This record gives sequence, C-alpha cells and structure tokens, in this order.
Amino acid sequence: MTEAQIIKTLLDFIAADGTTDDEFSPLALEIFAYQFENNIPYQRFCRQREKTPRTMQSWRNIPAVPINGYKDLTLSCCDPEAAERIFMTSGTTKNGVRGKCHHPTLSVYDTSMITAFRQRFMQEHTKLRMGILFPTEQTMPNSSLAHYLALALNEFGSDGSRYLFNDDGLDHEQLFAELDRAEQTGKPYALLGASFSFVHVMDKMSHLGKTVSLPEGSRILDTGGFKGQSRELELNEFYDLLEARFGVPRDHCINMYGMTELSTEFYDWGNATCPSVKSGPHWIRSQIVNPLTGEELPKGDKGILVHCDLAHFNCVSSILTEDAGIELDDGFLLLGRAEGAEAKGCSMAVDEFLKAAQG
Amino acid sequence: MALRAGYLPGINANDVEWQTLTYDRDGQAIEVLVPLLSDEQMKDLSGRIKEVSRQHLKSMAVSDITATIDAAIARLLDRNDTYRQQAEEYLPLITGYDAEMVRLGLTGYLKTFRQSELRRFVAEDFVNPKILDEFQPLPKGGYGRAYGPDLLAHIWAGNVPGLPLWSLISGLLVKAGNIGKVPSTEPLMASWFAHIIAEIDPKLGQCLAVVWWKGGDVDREQALLNQADLVMAYGNNDTLHQIRDRTPITTRCLTYSHKVSFGMVSKAALDTGKAWEVAHQAAYDIVRYDQQGCYSPHLFFVEQGGAVTPQEFAQYIANELDCFEEKFPRRSLSIEEASGVAAWRQSEEMKSFFAENNAVMGDANDAWSVAYSEAEEDLAPSGLNRTAKVISVKQLDDVPARIAPYKAFLQTVGIAAAPEELQRLAGMLGAVGVTRISALEHMTAPEAGWHHDGRFNLLDLVTMTEVERSAETAAEAFSDYVD
Repeated sequence: MTEAQIIKTLLDFIAADGTTDDEFSPLALEIFAYQFENNIPYQRFCRQREKTPRTMQSWRNIPAVPINGYKDLTLSCCDPEAAERIFMTSGTTKNGVRGKCHHPTLSVYDTSMITAFRQRFMQEHTKLRMGILFPTEQTMPNSSLAHYLALALNEFGSDGSRYLFNDDGLDHEQLFAELDRAEQTGKPYALLGASFSFVHVMDKMSHLGKTVSLPEGSRILDTGGFKGQSRELELNEFYDLLEARFGVPRDHCINMYGMTELSTEFYDWGNATCPSVKSGPHWIRSQIVNPLTGEELPKGDKGILVHCDLAHFNCVSSILTEDAGIELDDGFLLLGRAEGAEAKGCSMAVDEFLKAAQG
Repeated sequence: MALRAGYLPGINANDVEWQTLTYDRDGQAIEVLVPLLSDEQMKDLSGRIKEVSRQHLKSMAVSDITATIDAAIARLLDRNDTYRQQAEEYLPLITGYDAEMVRLGLTGYLKTFRQSELRRFVAEDFVNPKILDEFQPLPKGGYGRAYGPDLLAHIWAGNVPGLPLWSLISGLLVKAGNIGKVPSTEPLMASWFAHIIAEIDPKLGQCLAVVWWKGGDVDREQALLNQADLVMAYGNNDTLHQIRDRTPITTRCLTYSHKVSFGMVSKAALDTGKAWEVAHQAAYDIVRYDQQGCYSPHLFFVEQGGAVTPQEFAQYIANELDCFEEKFPRRSLSIEEASGVAAWRQSEEMKSFFAENNAVMGDANDAWSVAYSEAEEDLAPSGLNRTAKVISVKQLDDVPARIAPYKAFLQTVGIAAAPEELQRLAGMLGAVGVTRISALEHMTAPEAGWHHDGRFNLLDLVTMTEVERSAETAAEAFSDYVD
C-alpha cells in the first residue's frame, strides 16, 4: 500500500466502530508490511529477529521496538525532512539525545485523538468550558502533549476556554478566577493538564487555604504521573486531594496514559479505585510480555506492556514500553514504570549512572 | 515457621512491633519477622549501648575483641553449627542466589575475618595497634590514643549475603557500640552474627544491636541518626544524599555509594594456551552474585594484537558464562530486573545495526549476554545480572584516559597482564581514581584489610586524643618530686 492508501484505510477503520481481532490483525499486518518495506532500520531490527511480513500470522507476533530505539534509530517511513510535524520525547535522555517521531500528516493522529477523547473524556458533553494547565502548542511545538491539549481545547472547548499558563508558568490568578466563575455559574467545567501541574496548583491552594466545589458534571484529566519530579504522591493521595480541592469526585478524575511513541491514548473510567483499569479504542491493542523474551504472559501475570497502535503508521506500530502492567478482561492495570531496576547490591545500574553522569 | 531477624539486647521481644517480610522464590515462600522500634525504644536502646560501650567495651583489649569475633566466625564456618546451617538453608531462598554459590561465597568471605586476618586488618590502619587500648607515644612527641565512637550507626543496603559483617566488625575492632539497620533484601546474616557474639561474650553482646525499618521510612531513620556519634551508610546517591542531609551537623557521616568496576586483558594474556583460563576467570567475576557487588565487572577492555582476538575472547567469555549457568544458575529476575537486562541488550543490538563488527552474543532466552564492540565506547554500566561487554582497544594504555571522567564511580579493576604492564597500568589507573586492582577471578573477593573505596576502614572511625608534650612538661612543675 502507498502512504495515501494507508491513511485512507486508517481513517475509515477509526470511523468504523467496534472491531474484532479478525479485522484488527489483517490491517495491523498490512501496516507492518508497509513499515517493513519503507523503514529500513526497522527492517533490520525485524530481520535480526528473523521476522518478516511473510512469516507473520497475527498482530501479536509483530516485532515490538523498545521505546529507547527511537533514541538510537530514525524510525520513519516517510522522508524525515518531509514530515509535517516531529514530536520529541522528554524524560531521561541518553547522552542528551531525544527520540523523534515523524508525522507526515497529523490527520490520523488528530482523528485518533478526537474520536477517543469524545468517547472517553467528553462522554455526555459535546462542549465544555476548559482550562489547560500546560504550555501552548506554540511554546512547545515538539511536544505531543501540547498538541493533544490544543486539540482538546479547539475541538471540545466552549467559548471562554483558555490556557491557564503564562511565560512564568501556572497563572494562578486566572485559574482561581475561572474556578470561582465556574462555581458561580453552576456549569460543568473541565480542567486538563500534566499530573504535576495539579500538584503545584494544589500546593498553592493549600497554602492559601482555598478549596472550590466545581459544579456537577465537571471533570479533570491528568496525565504523565510524577516520576522524576521533586515530589511523588501516592495515586490514592493524589485523587483524594483532587476531590477535596476541586470538588470533583474521583470517578470523574480521568487519567490519560499516552506517550510520544504512540498516536493513540489510553484512558480509565475515573479513579474511584487505584490503580485504575486503562483501555484504548479499537485501533490499538496491548499485550503483557516478558521483557527478555518478548513472549506474551498469561492473563493476570505482571509484565511489561507492548502496544500495537495502528494510528502510528509512519514510525512503528508495535512498541515495547518500559511500563509494567497486568492484563485484565476489560483493559490493563498500569503499574508504573519498571524502573531499570537498581542493583540489589552496591553495583551501579544504568539509570543511576546516567543520572549521576549528567549531574 | 517464620524466622526472626534483628537483635535487640535489653528489649523484651513482646514489647516490639514485628513486621513480616515474605520471600517467594520459585514457589517456595518463607517469612521473616523484622523488628520495628518506636522512637522511645530506639532512644533507650541507643542510650544503653552507648553506656555499655563507654563502661565496658572501651576497657577491653583489642586482642580480646578479635578473639571473640574469631570464635563467632569459626561457628559460621562450621557446617555443623546451627547458624551456619540456617545460613546455607535460608540465604539462597531470601536472595535467590544459587545455594552452592552462597555456600562457597560465605566460606571465602568469612575466612577473611579469622584472628590472624583481623590482626592484619588492624595493623593496616594502625602502625601501633595498641593505640586503640591505651595512650602510646607519638613520633611528633606527646602521647595519643584512638577512640571509637560510643554509638556507630550502620545503614546497610543490598542482598549480597554477609556484607554488613564488614562494617559491623570494623566497628567492634575500634570499640564502637553499634546499631545496624538491615535491608529487607537480606536481614538475617547480621542478626545471626550479633546473636553469636552475645552467646560467646554476653557483655560484648550488649554493645551491638540489629534493627530494621522499611527503606525510606525517614522518621525511624531520623531516630537513629539523632542518637549516633558516627554514621556509615550504603546505597545509591539519592538515598545517601538524604541520609547525609538529615545527619546532625556535629555527627560525621561516611557514605559508600554504588560503583562501577571493570576488567582489562592484555594481549600478553591472549595466547591460545592461556586465553581460555583468563576468560573463565573473567566469567567467574561476572557470575559471582550476578554482578550485584560494587567490585563486580560490567565490562572488559581487551587489547588487540594477541593470538586470540578481542572478539574471540568475547566468545570465550560467552561460552564460559554458558557453562557456569549449569553449575551456578542465575537467580530468577524480577520484572524490573528483567526489564533492565532487556533494555541493555536491545540497546546493544541497536548499536550493532550501525557498527559492522559489533555483536550481541547469547540468545534472549539465555541467562547471560555478552556484547562486543570495536567502537570508541566510554565506560557505562551493563544491564547487570550476567550481562557484560567486551570492548576491543588498540592498547590498554589508552583506557585510563577514557575512564577518567567517571572518577567518582570507579572502584575495582581486574587485570590480566605481564608484570611490567601491571606496574605501568596501576600507576595510570590510580591517578584517575581506581582504588583497587586485583587479578581476574578475585574481583569479587577483596583480601582481608582492603581499603574499601580507597578509604581507611578503621582509621576513618576513630578520633584521636592527644596529650601534647607541653602538658607533660608543665605537669612536671607540679609533681611532688619537683626541686
């Protein structure tokens, strides 16, 4: 298939609701064949594992590239120079190198985001007044999260929706004005942003002794977690605090799990209990594997998550994450990053070394 | 049956909160009860240990203390002794290490604490060991005596069996009262040792205690830090940083952080007759405790120009690791550990896409991996748990400059080279921060009296009290025989 054909097929597939393995697998294999042919580093990766489109029976056997691979390899089917947009990874970097995901068009990414966001976050609402606790897309053009949040605001934000972030960081004054306004009008309000922005906001509110009670139907979306931040909260504590400070019940506090190396996001149905069950739309599938052998583990065993995201058609669809999880009937439990395991003794491990060597 | 860890002289076990640690290895679960003291209990315990340390321990002769330690070690070496039997039975279950490896490792390690070795240990740091017992004349004039702290707090980490004995014995040798905090990953060995000491010399047994709290429980930790006269802590930089920050400013805090060690193989060692044996020795250092020790090698710089090429040598190591898997199987890995190994292995595979001669040996299902590189690679840790890298170099003399930026992380270098090379390399390696050079096969078994991370294990623990010559001279004027 050509790029244009792939895009067309994908857009149709996303629009069609509810698919079975029988429909998912053939398309996954076609996209794999396309990536195998056009993405030479990925082809080498597959050949080393003696996997080619010819030997492939199911999406489950498609070789998954470790997300670190994006730091070592340029994984793109299109000419990287011709990409409409490049999203770059953040976080722990290897020798300061950031992984890049090339998008020849954002049409698939955007359709994927919009379709799933409507189902999983908006639910009964068509539009909501929104506040975004994250920098704008213009400030961070290589951040997939900045683009994601811009889409949310543009597609689903009603009049008055805005960024509550300025050049100095969080704009508390505007944020509190928005929260007070929502409380007075009684109309549902949505607050979206990085998990850690919420921690900062709540620290500030605690300092001021401020709480609000957002109107019924209001919701919160947080993403990213706390790893690597100066302060880590237990999930239960975090969602308790959200409920207490904003008056949004925990089952309306939704956590989005996404990554630069994907074009589709996972959501839970609120965080009444933690860890919550995460699931994605019909064009992404996940497996729990033994990270060493790549073999799929029986349901209920703890392992590492592999995602096969058809919407990430230009790079590689199947990635091996560094996130631990457990498969359930209706999704998976996300258990957080499987920290590159510190040594049990006094030997130094890679993660610690990188951190120390970079000061 | 649940085992009990900890050793709490003067505290009734019924008054203590006991928590249960469960170890489940390959379907065999065992439980260990660990004591969690209240602030009040920690304070009382510290007070009592300081008191006995001042009243009793400080007046004991070092030779008497070494005799007691020697007797305790003798029991741990005696395979008919119940403590030894427990160690052989339970340590493999708790740590996951192969039983035979634990057994051999314990014997080799404990042998370094026999009486003659302990004397050597003291003599390493004190030219005149009697300075620990009484005032001794000093070369500069006057007299001096070395005093250990009344309360030395040890915060241990890691699962390498028996490592805590090292600092505990150091503390006893300088007549310090000791409270050691055992890690959840191996809480038993230090506890048993304390019990044995108390059985042999009940009074000495009142000078040490073994406690536990969950790593990261800063409140419990603070209770001990507040009482200690000196703190010795082991762990990663983050942990050590916060321990040091919370140690009162008037209390010294000695930290031992995580390290990276490596091997060097000269072309002189790479003739067809000797290379196999050298590879066997290198593999042994990798296998011992699955590279969890600070002295365990992560990589080997191998010199070109020998009859056996660096790439062939890498293959030799791979073969040896495969053989060792039969004899000492790798312990089963947690998901986190497996993920670390996988990330390292995959990253090495990626590199091999670009560099023609780079290779990764071993299958993903094997319990070991060897990566081979001809690139100008810097020092970096391996994925641990029997993963190692062989880096081909033109000459070993180039290596010190490459590792110099990592001075803060360096520890042991295992060398296979001819005498004059060894001399030359030792000088270059010492200058860039390497603190220990050993033969291959000995990297993970430092000799008695070694200077851990280049420090003086005993000297670092004492304070000197000096009587200057002026005091002696002045005293003469007040004697009853003054003219």
